[in-house]
Amino acid sequence: MQGTTAVPDIEIIVKDIGGGGGGPIPPPDGGDDGDNGGDDRNRRRRWSPSPKRYSTAITIGIVSILMFFMALASAFIVLRRGSDLWVTVHLPRILWANTCVLLASSFTLESARQRLYLADASGFRKFWLMTTVLGFLFVAGQLVAWRQLVAQGVYIASNQASSFFYIFTGAHAVHLLGGVGALLFVGFRKFEKTKISLPAAAEITSYYWHFMDGLWIFLLALLYLGK
Amino acid sequence: MSKDDSNANQPETLKNGFLSRHVFSSNHKAIGLNYLWLALLSVFLGMAMSLLMRIHLAWPAVHLPFLSSLGNLPDRFAALTTLHGSLMVFLVLTAAPQAGFGNYFLPLQIGAREMAFPTLNLFAFWLTVASLFGMTSTFFPSPQPAITLWIVSVAIFCVASLLNALNFSVTAIDLRAPGMTLPRLPLTVWAWFINAILGALIFSILLAACICLLSDRLMGTHFFPELNFISSQPAGAVANAVPVLWRRLFWFFAQAEVYVAMLPCFGLTTHLISTFSRKPVWKERLVVLALCGVGVFGFCVWGQHVFSSGMNPFSPLVFSLLASSLGLPATIFIISWFGTLWNARVQLNTAMLFALGFISLFLSGGLSGIFLARHDLAAAAVSDDFVTGHFHLVMGVAATFAILGSLFFWFPKLFGRRLNEPLGKIHFWLTFAGVYCVFMPMHWLGLIAHSRVSPVSGLTSIALPGSSIHTFITVAILLTVFAQGLFLINFLWSLFRGERVLETNPWRATTLEWSVSSPPPADDFGVTDPVVYRGAYEFSVPDAADDFVPQHLAPEQVVKARKAGE
Repeated sequence: MQGTTAVPDIEIIVKDIGGGGGGPIPPPDGGDDGDNGGDDRNRRRRWSPSPKRYSTAITIGIVSILMFFMALASAFIVLRRGSDLWVTVHLPRILWANTCVLLASSFTLESARQRLYLADASGFRKFWLMTTVLGFLFVAGQLVAWRQLVAQGVYIASNQASSFFYIFTGAHAVHLLGGVGALLFVGFRKFEKTKISLPAAAEITSYYWHFMDGLWIFLLALLYLGK
Repeated sequence: MSKDDSNANQPETLKNGFLSRHVFSSNHKAIGLNYLWLALLSVFLGMAMSLLMRIHLAWPAVHLPFLSSLGNLPDRFAALTTLHGSLMVFLVLTAAPQAGFGNYFLPLQIGAREMAFPTLNLFAFWLTVASLFGMTSTFFPSPQPAITLWIVSVAIFCVASLLNALNFSVTAIDLRAPGMTLPRLPLTVWAWFINAILGALIFSILLAACICLLSDRLMGTHFFPELNFISSQPAGAVANAVPVLWRRLFWFFAQAEVYVAMLPCFGLTTHLISTFSRKPVWKERLVVLALCGVGVFGFCVWGQHVFSSGMNPFSPLVFSLLASSLGLPATIFIISWFGTLWNARVQLNTAMLFALGFISLFLSGGLSGIFLARHDLAAAAVSDDFVTGHFHLVMGVAATFAILGSLFFWFPKLFGRRLNEPLGKIHFWLTFAGVYCVFMPMHWLGLIAHSRVSPVSGLTSIALPGSSIHTFITVAILLTVFAQGLFLINFLWSLFRGERVLETNPWRATTLEWSVSSPPPADDFGVTDPVVYRGAYEFSVPDAADDFVPQHLAPEQVVKARKAGE
């Protein structure tokens, strides 16, 4: 009989990980809902939702962000093919330097995670900080690229190619700044107080960061080949 | 547990103020209810607007008091149509079945005590409120700033829906109680889950389109150039591809949006039909597959709407085929519903009546959809009253019936009281007859306008504004709207004076939300975490004492119950 099957093992294991912290755990996301009295709050703490939810969320978030950029990319392709008078934008040279900075940041991020795995806290902090600085450097480099184009008289409204250049780089920079925020959060947060462990947080941040990296390569290739 | 039972039927403890308990609470139940209140407000606003439009169509000379004070201009009528559509589609059809009932009952049905990210949930709700506020205020300023404001509101709604989709899918994947395996999930949860995945994909496309449109309007870019821009270019320079782009991006979203509104309703209807037929869902696995199929096909049919836009001549064929293939999951649903109803001891209460009404509307609306999936026929019938009639029947009204049915079903759990049954039944029959009287003649109007039998014959004059058929539709809609007043009276009266529900499971249903008190305690399940032992639709089990076995009942408890029953 199907209904007689007891609790599957995997669910129990997951629960054990969740409750394993032992210490006082705040509601998820700092959900400081004032609607619980003291008794209810204690009861709520005992129930700890699976920590897997963060990595699931980042996966679905990445797919969703990818759809966003795919819509923009397909708009680019449709307009590029439909237009005979496509005025090309000469990509500023600094973009290649920026790309190198971003690629390097992915490597430093992985080095940081390796240091964390080896329980080398100071090494982890050093590489993690380096990644954050490289992230800021990339965004600053993109701003320099914008300024260079503006100096040449290429604005967002100049032509369709320039519109796409600014929209692509702008939207990517906004999403990347979210990643920088995550890097700062992981770098400076005291992890005894949070629900998520430091290695898990670092892993999730690394997924997002590498995704931003790959996305930039894709957008750059699109802009370069669309000339 | 005992503490929770003592105030089982009381409103939650009154320790904190109204604002922190209801408005700024990140509790999934408070947020779900808030979405439902928002949808209730929007549906009555939207209905008032449709009433104004219909009165104008039937009696064009009448000066409406509200409208004439704003200037009786054509763009007021256009604004009314836009606003009616956006309120109904976004705030009612998208928000109520998914965000409203979903937020309240998804955690309860899977045995979780909260959504995966409660603060994010609260944030998404307030974004939705901001977008409702933005959309309704577009009616007042002059058209150009109003359109910008409307696009901003839609973009905000997209962000809210994306956050919601994220929250729902993660909750359904990771927060299920021990024993709640995927095959044991109630079909409502399946529908909410698949819908969340679909929403995570399509709302980001609409967001991208909105951002391009806003950059066109505010920063002077030319993603979607206006007509005067096209005419100012050298011939052939901008090519036909430009307006196609907007259509593609928009319809990519909009065609899938229909399924975003319908998917949760399929789940809700299947759930109601099984519960009130006292039978398991017929071919439950197949229904789950069909739900997935609606998600996949619905995501692919976007090209169906761009037949006339200069695409490759073969692509209409492909999309026409894809659109027709949506008939397959739809047929599976219908066969499963009838299979469940076959030989069943059907309990014809108001919730069940609305579920059956959903089937009727879905069938008749779906039949006219077959016409529209054929691209040659669609070219003749498109853009007019035929399409208006079609999608109002299949999407608008059918979804509303599913929402109303669920409300009658879950009202005891939400508020600890029942909605009035006789009043509910009168409301159902008036609405059911009313919507057919409103939307069936619309199909006819659409066909007449395109029949071109002979332009001078009396046939075309039937379709003119002010004709008898328009008057008939308007009178029918007046009566239907007044029937909704009956619902409002029933709702408000039952909220405060309705018959109290003393037992936790008045419908003798199987899913987990019926194992807790009504309304559920603040932490949903009291001290003990729920464990699930069986599928969601174990009705009429041969050797059980009752004709249903709840999901949380352990096998040894079932045996005990059987012995006690003998």
